[in-house]
Amino acid sequence: MNQLQVLVKIIPQLLSDGLALGFVYAIVALGYTMVYGILEFINFAHSELFMFGAFVGTEVLLLLKSAGILADMSPTVALLLSMLVAMIFSGALGVTVDRVAYRPVRSAPKLVPFISAIGVSFILQDLVRMVEEAKNGKFYLNAPTLFTNRITLAPNMVVPEKTLYIVGLCLLMMVALTLFVSKNKWGKAMRAVAQDRETARLMGINVDKVIALTFLIGAALGGAAGTLFSVQYGSISPYSGFVLGMKAFTAAVFGGIGKIPGAMLGGILLGLIEVFGASFLGALTGGVFGSEYKDVLAFAILILILIFKPSGLLGKPVGEKV
Amino acid sequence: MAQHPLRPGPAAFDGKTFAVKDWIVLGLMAVVILAAPLWLMADKGNSVAFIAFLASLLCVYRLRVPAWLRLLLAVVDLAVVMPLVGASSGTFAHVATVICMYGVLALGLNIVVGFTGLLNLGYAAFYAVGAYTYAIFASTQARNFMPFGVYPLSGNWFWLFLLLAMLVSGFVGFLLGLPVLRLKGDYLAVVTLGFAEIIRLLFNNLSKPVNITNGPMGITPIQPPMIFSLRLDKPVHYYVIVLALLLLTFVVVRNLQNSRIGRAWVAIREDELVARTMGVPVVRMKLLAFSIAAGLAGMMGVVFAAMQSYVDPTSFTFMESIVILCMVILGGTGSMTGVIIGALAVIVLQLQILKDASSYLTSLTTAGILNLPSWLNPAKYERLIFGLILVLMCIFRPNGLIPEKRVLQIKEKLGLKPKADAGGNAASKEG
Amino acid sequence: MALLEVKGLTKTFGGLTAINSVDFSMEEHQIVSVIGPNGAGKTTFFNMISGYYPVDSGTITFDGHSLTKLTPEKVAAYRIARTFQNIRLFQNMLVAENILVGFYMNLKAGIGDIILRLPRMRAEERAAYDKVMELLSYVGLAGKEGELAKNLSYGQQRRLEIARALAIAPKLLMLDEPAAGLNPRETEEMKQFILRLRDDMNTTILLIEHDMKLVMGLSDRITVLNYGEKIAEGTPEEIRGNEQVVRAYLGVEEADDEEDGGDAAAGEVLA
Repeated sequence: MNQLQVLVKIIPQLLSDGLALGFVYAIVALGYTMVYGILEFINFAHSELFMFGAFVGTEVLLLLKSAGILADMSPTVALLLSMLVAMIFSGALGVTVDRVAYRPVRSAPKLVPFISAIGVSFILQDLVRMVEEAKNGKFYLNAPTLFTNRITLAPNMVVPEKTLYIVGLCLLMMVALTLFVSKNKWGKAMRAVAQDRETARLMGINVDKVIALTFLIGAALGGAAGTLFSVQYGSISPYSGFVLGMKAFTAAVFGGIGKIPGAMLGGILLGLIEVFGASFLGALTGGVFGSEYKDVLAFAILILILIFKPSGLLGKPVGEKV
Repeated sequence: MAQHPLRPGPAAFDGKTFAVKDWIVLGLMAVVILAAPLWLMADKGNSVAFIAFLASLLCVYRLRVPAWLRLLLAVVDLAVVMPLVGASSGTFAHVATVICMYGVLALGLNIVVGFTGLLNLGYAAFYAVGAYTYAIFASTQARNFMPFGVYPLSGNWFWLFLLLAMLVSGFVGFLLGLPVLRLKGDYLAVVTLGFAEIIRLLFNNLSKPVNITNGPMGITPIQPPMIFSLRLDKPVHYYVIVLALLLLTFVVVRNLQNSRIGRAWVAIREDELVARTMGVPVVRMKLLAFSIAAGLAGMMGVVFAAMQSYVDPTSFTFMESIVILCMVILGGTGSMTGVIIGALAVIVLQLQILKDASSYLTSLTTAGILNLPSWLNPAKYERLIFGLILVLMCIFRPNGLIPEKRVLQIKEKLGLKPKADAGGNAASKEG
Repeated sequence: MALLEVKGLTKTFGGLTAINSVDFSMEEHQIVSVIGPNGAGKTTFFNMISGYYPVDSGTITFDGHSLTKLTPEKVAAYRIARTFQNIRLFQNMLVAENILVGFYMNLKAGIGDIILRLPRMRAEERAAYDKVMELLSYVGLAGKEGELAKNLSYGQQRRLEIARALAIAPKLLMLDEPAAGLNPRETEEMKQFILRLRDDMNTTILLIEHDMKLVMGLSDRITVLNYGEKIAEGTPEEIRGNEQVVRAYLGVEEADDEEDGGDAAAGEVLA
C-alpha cells in the first residue's frame, strides 16, 4: 500500500502528463473522425501523416538550430514556426494521398479503400525512413530542447512549461476547428456532406473539394500534433505513428466516431486512462502487471468499446440499413 | 462459359481455336517447363535457375494441356526435382519451404478475407499462438510452470502438436470471433488488429510473474521434428513436411469451398442479410471460417517454431499479417490457386529477389565498382514494396492477378447433364 | 387457424412511425396483397416479418409459432421465404449456387463429411443439384446454371430470386414487387406464374405490389396501408369500392407526379 501512497502524491504530475498525451491523441483523433464522418472510411494512413508532420517539424527546429538562430529566438516562435511548416507539409501530403490512393477507389467495396490506406501507410513509413537515412545516416530524429522551465501551478503541481504549451496550442486548434465547422461556409459544407453526400451534391456543394478540404485539415492537424509530440517526448521514428495512430483512432471511437467533440473528449480521456492506468496497474496488482501493459490497456479499451458501444460516448446508436 | 485467360480449357486440342500464336506460346512454355528443372538439377546453386524453375511451375499451371498431364508435371517438379535440389542446396529448400508455409497461411486467410469477406488484420496472432504452443513444450521453457512431465518433449511430439496447435489456435480464433464477428467491415479489421497486438504484447511480457514465454528474449532451442530416432532437421525435410501439409490443406479447403459451408461463406460475403434470410446461420459460419483459418495458422506456427528453433514476439508483428494479406490480395481474393501463387510471388520477392539484389549490390560496393550508400539497400524496402503492391492492386486489379472463378464442382465431377423440364413449364420466355 | 397472424404491430424509426398498430391475418393457400402509396410501410411490414428489425410492440405468429423476437435465420427455419424490391442476388456466385444456398437448411452433411468428401455428402450434393435443375427449368432458366448471377438479364434475375426463395420449400412466400420494372406483357406472365406457383408448390403467397392490374387479378384478399396504418382490407371488389383507399391513392398521385406509372395505374383501376 505504501506504493499507492506514493502514487497519490504524484497524481498532479500524472494529471499533467495525461493531459499532454490526451490532447495529442485528441488532435490526431480529429483527423480520423473528420474523414470518417464524411466518407465512412478509416484513413489508416493518418498515423503516417502525424509521423510525417513530426519529422518535418523536428527538421525545421534542427535547421534553426544548425543555423544558430534557435538559441536566440523565442522558443514560442520556434515552436509555432515548426508547427506551421509541419501543418503545411502534412496537409499537402494528406490531400495528395487522397487524390492518388483513395479517390480512384472511392466507389469500390468498402474494404478496398481501407486496404489501399494500409498500403499508403507502409509506403510512407519507408519513404520517410529512406529520406532520413539518406540525410542523417539514421532513421530516427531527436528534437532539440525548446523549453526547460518548470512552472508551479499549485503547491503540489509543478509542470514543465512545454506541457502547458502543448495543452494550450491543442485547445486553440480545437476552438478554431469548432468555429470553422460551425461558422464558415466551407465548414458548413463539410457538415452537409457528412450528413448526406448525395443531397449535398444536389444542393450545389462541390463534394470532391469538400472531401479534399477535410483531408487537408485533418492531415494538417495531424502534422501539428506530430510536432508537439516530438517536442514533448524528444524523439520520433518512422514507426512512431502506428501505435499512436491506433490509440488516436481508439480515442475517436471512444468519443463517438464522426463527432468532432467526441474525438476531443475521447482523446483526453484515453490519455488520462493510459497514464493513470500505467502507474496504478503495477501498484494495484502488486507488481505483477506493470506499465508494459499500457498498450494492452489501450487496445483492450478499443475492443471493448467497439463491441459494447460502437457508437461511442457522444454518438447515437445507428440502426442498420436494410 | 467464357474462356479464362489463364486456365486451360476444352479448346486446347480441338485444333480450330488453336491459332499459330497459341502454338508458339505452347512451345515456349514447353521449353521452359522441360529446361528449367534440368538447368536447376545441373546447377543446383544457381539463383537464376531456381527462379526459372519456379516460373516453370507457373507455366505448368497455365499450360493448355489436359489436367492429368499438368498434375504429372507438377508432381515431378515438386516431389522429385525440388527435393533433389533441396538436398544439396539448403537455401533453395528453405525458400521452397517458406513458399509452401505461406501458401497454407494464405489459403487460411483467404477463407476469412476471400470467401467470407471479413478483413482480418491480426492473422499473425494465430500463427504466434501455434508457434508458442510448440516452442514452450519442445524446449526447456515448460519446466518453469509445468508441475509434471519432462521437458523438452522429444521431436516425436511434433506431429501431435501440429494437431494440438491447430485446435488451440482454432479455439483462440473462436474466442475472439465470438464477440467481434457482428462488427462490420473496417471496424472488424481494426479490432482484429488490436487483438493481435494484445497477443503479441502478452507474449512479450509473460515472463513474469511466471516465466511462460521468456519475454522479448524468445525461446530457443526448440526440438526439430523426429520420426522415432530420426531427426528431421534438414531444410529438405521441412520442405517435404510442409509440401504435404500444403497439399492436404488445399484439398480440405477445396472440399469446404464446394459444400454448403463454402457456399454459405461466399453468400455471407455477397449479401449477409439475404444469406440469413435463406437460413444460413451467419454467426456460426463466420466463427467456423475464423476458427479454421486460425487453426491452419496455428499448425504452420508449429512448423515455423521447429524450423527456426527459435521464436520471439518480433516474428508476429502487424507487418507479418500484412505480408499474408498481400499474398491474398495479389493472388486474388477468393481464388485458391491465386493466393498460393501470391504466396510464391511475395516470398520469391522477399527471400530471393530482394536479398539477391541486395547482396549483389553490396558485393559491387565492396569491389569498389559502385558506391551504394547503405540507405539504398533494396532489402530495407519491404514495407515500401508491400505497400505499393496493396495500393496498386486496389486501384488497378482489385480482383487480383488470378481472379476468383466459380465452377460447378458437382457437375464437373459427376458428369451430370441438365435435366429436362421436370417441374413444369418455363415461367416465361426471355423478353 | 390463420397461417400468419399479426396483432398490433408497431415500429418507429427515430420519431417516424413506420408501422402503427397493424392487425393482419391470412389463411393457408391464399394469395394476399399489401398495397399502399410509397412510404406506406409495406416493405417495413415485410422486413418485420422477416426478422430484420426488432418489434417495438405487437406480435407476429406463424403457424402457431411466435416470430416476434426471431432473427432472420430462425424465421427462415419456419419456411418463410422472400424476394426483394431491388433484386438482391449473390451476384458473384453462379446461378446454381444461388439456389444451393437456399438448400442450406436441407443439406445435412457435417463438417467431417465435407472435409473428407464422403460418398453420402456427394450423394446429397447430387440430389440437391437435381433439385436445382428442376427449379431452374420451372422458372425458365434451364441452361443458365453455370453463369454468374450478375450476368443475367433483369427479368432473369427476378426469376432466379424467386427460384432461390422456392429452394427453402416455403410455406409462406413473400414477394416484394415482383412485377417492378416489367413491361405489361411480362407482368401478365408474372401473374400467371404466381398463380401457378401457389398450386405447383402448394404454398401461400404474400405480395407487395404497385401494379393494380396484377393485384386485382391475383389476390384473394388485399390489405391497404397508408402512413403505416391499415386503412382497409377485403376482397379486390371491396377494396375497389373503398373511398378511403381511393382518397389515399389520389392524394399521393397529386403530390407525386413523377411516379413511374404504378400509381397512375392504381388511379385508373380504382376510378
